[in-house]
Formats: sequence, structure tokens, C-alpha cells
Amino acid sequence: MESLIVSFIIDLIALYSVYLIVNLSLNLQLGYAGIPNFGLVLAFTGGAYVMGWLPIRLCAWLFGIDPQLRANIIKNNAIIVSHINSCLQAQPLVAIGVFVLTLILALIVGAILGFISAYPAIRLRTDYLAITLLALGEVLAIIGRNYDPLVGGVIGILVPDLFSWAGESRFIVVSLMLLFMTALCFCIINIIVNSPYGRTLRAIRDNEIAASSLGKNVTRVRMQALVVGSMICSLAGALYASYSCYVGPAAYGRLEWTFLPWLMVIFGGVANNIGVMLGTFVFVTLRKLIEFYKYYFTFLPFDVVWLEYLLLGTIIVVILIFRPKGLISEKPSRTLAEKKLEKVVAELLHKRDSKAT
Amino acid sequence: MIPPTLVDAITYSSLLGIMTFGLTFVRITTGVWNVAHGAFVTVGAYVVFTCTNLIGGNPYLYLPLAFIMGSITSVIEYLLIIEPLRKREASTTLMLVSTISFDLAMLSIINIYADYLQNVFNLPSKNFIMKKLDFTLFEAPGIFWVSFMFLIAFVIVLYFVLHYTKVGVALRACVSNPALANITGINVIYINLLSWFISGGLAGVAGGLLPLWIQGKPIVGDSFLALMFCVSIVGGVEEIYGTVLGGFLVGFTQTLVTLGLYAIFGAAVIPYKTLIPMMILVLTLLFAPKGLAKINWKKMLKIAKIGGPSKWKV
Repeated sequence: MESLIVSFIIDLIALYSVYLIVNLSLNLQLGYAGIPNFGLVLAFTGGAYVMGWLPIRLCAWLFGIDPQLRANIIKNNAIIVSHINSCLQAQPLVAIGVFVLTLILALIVGAILGFISAYPAIRLRTDYLAITLLALGEVLAIIGRNYDPLVGGVIGILVPDLFSWAGESRFIVVSLMLLFMTALCFCIINIIVNSPYGRTLRAIRDNEIAASSLGKNVTRVRMQALVVGSMICSLAGALYASYSCYVGPAAYGRLEWTFLPWLMVIFGGVANNIGVMLGTFVFVTLRKLIEFYKYYFTFLPFDVVWLEYLLLGTIIVVILIFRPKGLISEKPSRTLAEKKLEKVVAELLHKRDSKAT
Repeated sequence: MIPPTLVDAITYSSLLGIMTFGLTFVRITTGVWNVAHGAFVTVGAYVVFTCTNLIGGNPYLYLPLAFIMGSITSVIEYLLIIEPLRKREASTTLMLVSTISFDLAMLSIINIYADYLQNVFNLPSKNFIMKKLDFTLFEAPGIFWVSFMFLIAFVIVLYFVLHYTKVGVALRACVSNPALANITGINVIYINLLSWFISGGLAGVAGGLLPLWIQGKPIVGDSFLALMFCVSIVGGVEEIYGTVLGGFLVGFTQTLVTLGLYAIFGAAVIPYKTLIPMMILVLTLLFAPKGLAKINWKKMLKIAKIGGPSKWKV
């Protein structure tokens, strides 16, 4: 039982971290820039596909895997991955190098996907944009399902375990790494939203015309927000694939990686990263608990997992009707520290008084 | 004999038109993009599946019931979620999110129901197809005739209702300017309810027809969601008949372009046919962002006749 609880907590940390990165990226786009990105799954899948495509090829080349096996990586996937994993156990530096390289490529792919999906739609009205992004979000899933050389088609592909060097502590190490990456993303996004650029985003969100009259290039700033958001989302996809060591189009659906993040962000509080943290925690924990205890409900004539969506859907409806701003609502953007602000105000008042006299 | 490609294209386009019409209709009347629209389609599919298996008879007999069940589900969504949010003046994005939650809840209910059918009645409710129960007329499947006739009949009835009845005038008034319609004494809530009722009902009928064409499953309606949004935007959401145009454009292009590509590149291109609507969507957004229904065709024809300027304005 003890080991079950430990694995439950480790899995919870990993899933929470991945969802939090996705949700923070959504909060940057929706909460601060006012872009309703319903195509999150596109960038997320892009990142995961990079993790499914690059490390296996790179490691196979680095470790000199038999060229005959390498000729059909998808077919010989299990053999190649098992061989790579045994090599990676002895070479942590190579594993970390490949991991970092893959993440960088995932960021680039995320940026490209964000730009491509946004280009035809970014000038559209909010709801039009949302629906267009939702429709375009399906594109990679269709390609992934049908183009086998990418990530093995419908069956999917095993990803080399880039943390196999950690041995038995593999899952703990990965979870901690995910937590670290989440903290990093949290800090970066917080810096962005509390900077003058973040205030520009909010200004555009609140009144496009006013912001544009002050010289802000609305389309460009919105596009930038979408590209940065997609990069972060793609990073989350790559991290999730490295945690689960598997990439398959079926695991990257619209429901899991677009709709649920939206519900978590709305639940926690739009344009408030702390609220998003809380909302994500409540949702992910609730889901994990339902999954954990589902075997106690085998007497029911249906899979108890379905109650999860019913519960989540109901909670969100109640929240939307009675607390539409979420658990923690948006706070005014931070400017100068209070003491500094008082000093500046005092100086200004002093100048005004001296002018008057 | 009707060429099979034409049968495919017309059936597909008709079904797309029927199921998307409701989506566009509620968008026009209540300003809501209903993500749960796919759930109404699934409800229709399960009504026909259940009745055909438990009661027996021809699947087409149960289409009215599919219409009613789709309508009831739609009205429940409107009364439980949309109307309370409208009263609180929620934004369109918030309303869209609320429809996601309803979709989630419906997904659970449909899956629980499918599990129940499977476990208690031993029915293959997670994956079913009823093609064998369909009839054939002039060597074409019944679904081809029924879906096409239904779409034509529906468009004609809708035209007469909208232009020659008081309800139709009220509906058109609400579509053009809900606030003004309210001032003139039209009960906007009733009109909204009516539009949600029709929307859910049509989706239910389309869902009831689907298992005669493709495999039914608990996400059969949701799997069409992205496509429905494409059709809606391509057709244009400001014109009621735009959806029918959009449905036919998307359906025909997808079928015929796939065939053309198949002739050139072979069978490998067939799985990618679902990408075609996305391409049409992108092209529409770039060149006719208000959709097909808003293109000034007279002007286009005039320009085409005289050789036209280099830039076509739509």
C-alpha cells in the first residue's frame, strides 16, 4: 500500500507539472493577451512528436545501432529503444545532452506551429479565432495517425528513456525535473506578465482600439503572445512524452490537452497564475483520486471513470454561473514597490507645489 | 446508376449540412459557439441504435424520436447553462467554455449509457454500424436519398417558415438585432429556445442517420466537431443558408479532391482527406473571411466577364 501511495504521489507531481505548464501557457494567451487559444493540443502534440522523433534517431546514430535495424525505426522500435536504454544507463551526460537538444527543437517547433496556426486567424474576432484555432488544432493528430514514419501511426512509438541512468529512482528524478521545469516556466511567465510588455498585453486585451491608438501593433503583439504560448505548450508536450516514454496520437486528444486545461484555468482564475496553480492542483488531484479508487466501484454496470467528466463538467458550470472569475480573480498588475511608489508620488507633489509657489 | 463517388459526396455533404445547420443557427440567434453540439449528434445515434436493437424495425422509423431527444438535450443545455450565463452577461468565450463543460458531462452520460447497454443487454454499443439495415433504391443506399431529401425539404420548409410565418419573422428579427426585437415585444427567450430546440433536433436526426453510413461510437458526434466548425465558418455565420453551401463545398471538395489526388499519388493520400476541410478553412479565412454566403457573387461574375482588376474584393 505504501509503495502504491508513493507512486501515486510521484505520478501526481508529474501530471500536475505538465498540466500546469500547459495551463500557464494558456493563461498567458487567454488571461493576459485575451487570445482564446482552443488549439492548445496542436503545439502540445508538436512537442510530443519531436520527443518521439528525434531522440530515438539521434541515440541510434550515437550508439551505432545496426544500420539494418535503423533502416526501419518504427518496425524495430522496441528492439532499438531497449538497446538505447541500456546504453543510456551508463552515459547520463549523453542522455541529458539529447534531452536538452530535444527540448530546444520542441521550442522551435512550437513557435513555428503557433505562427502557422495564428497567421490566417489572428485578425479575427475573439470567438471566430477560438473556433478556427480549435479546428486547426486537429491537423497534427491527423498527420500523426496516418504518417507512420513520424511517430508510428495509430500504434505510436516508444521513446528512449533519457532518465534510465537514474535507475530505480527514475520516476522520482523525472518528477523533480518536471517540477523544476514548471517552476522555471512559472517564473518566466510571471516576469513577462509583470513587465511593461505584460501591461501591453493586458491593454490590448482590454481595449484593442485604445492600445492601437497609443501606437501598439496589436496584431504583432497578439501573434507574439500566441507564439510564446505555443512554445511553452510544445515544451510541455515534449516533457510529457519523456515522462511516459511513449508517443501515440491517441494520447494527445483535444479533450485532454485543450478542453481540460481550459476548464482548469477558468476554475482557478483567468489572468492569475496563482489561481491557475490552485485550479490545476484541484483538478489533477481529483482526477487521480477517481482513477486511484475506481477499483472499489466494480459493482457498477459502467466504468466509474466516466463519473470524472460528469463531476468536472458540473463543477465548472457551477463555477461559471456563481463565480465566473474563478477561485482567485485577477489582481491589478504590479508596478513599483509601495515605498518606491510613495517616494515618486511625494517627489511629484513636491515639484507641483514648488511650481505653484 | 448514380456514380458511387457522387453518392458518397452528396450523402456526406447532406449529413454535414444537416448537423452543422444547428451549430450556425444558435450562433446567429444566441451568439454561442456550442461545443456540445457533437453530443446531440451522438444522442441521435444512440436513440436509433437502442430502439432498433431493443424494439426492432427500420432505423428510419426512429428518426422523429432522435429529433425529440436531440431537442430535449439541447433545450436542457440552454435552460441550465446558457440562459443563466446570458442573464449574467457572460462573454462569448465564457459561454463557449460552459458548452465544453456540458459536452464533458454529456460525454460521461453517453459513455455510461453505452457501458450499460453493453453490460446489461450485451449490445456492441461502443462500436456499431447499421448499414445492413438500410434499404437500396436505384442501386444507391437509402441514406443517400433520405439525407439529401431531408436537407432539401428542410431548406424549403425553413424558407417558408422564415418568410411567411410570424414565428419566422420574429426569428429573423432576433437574428438581425436581438435587442431591437426585444423592444418590439418579441419574447427573445422563447425564440432562443426555439432555435436551440431546432438545432438539437437536427443534430439528433443527423446522428440517427450516421450509423447507417459510418461506425457509431460514444464520440461519433464529437469526432465531427472540428469539421462542423469548418463548415460553419466556410459557409459564413451571418447567413442562415451559408451552412448548406459550406457543407456542400466541404463535402464535395473533400470527396472529389481526394479522388483526384488518389488518381495521381495512389492510395496513400486517402487517410489525409480530413485535412482538406482545414485547408478550405484557411483559404476562406484568407480570401473571404466572412464566409461563402457573404461573397458578392454578382460583382465577382461582373469582374470575371470584363477581365477584372487584379484584386477581387469580397
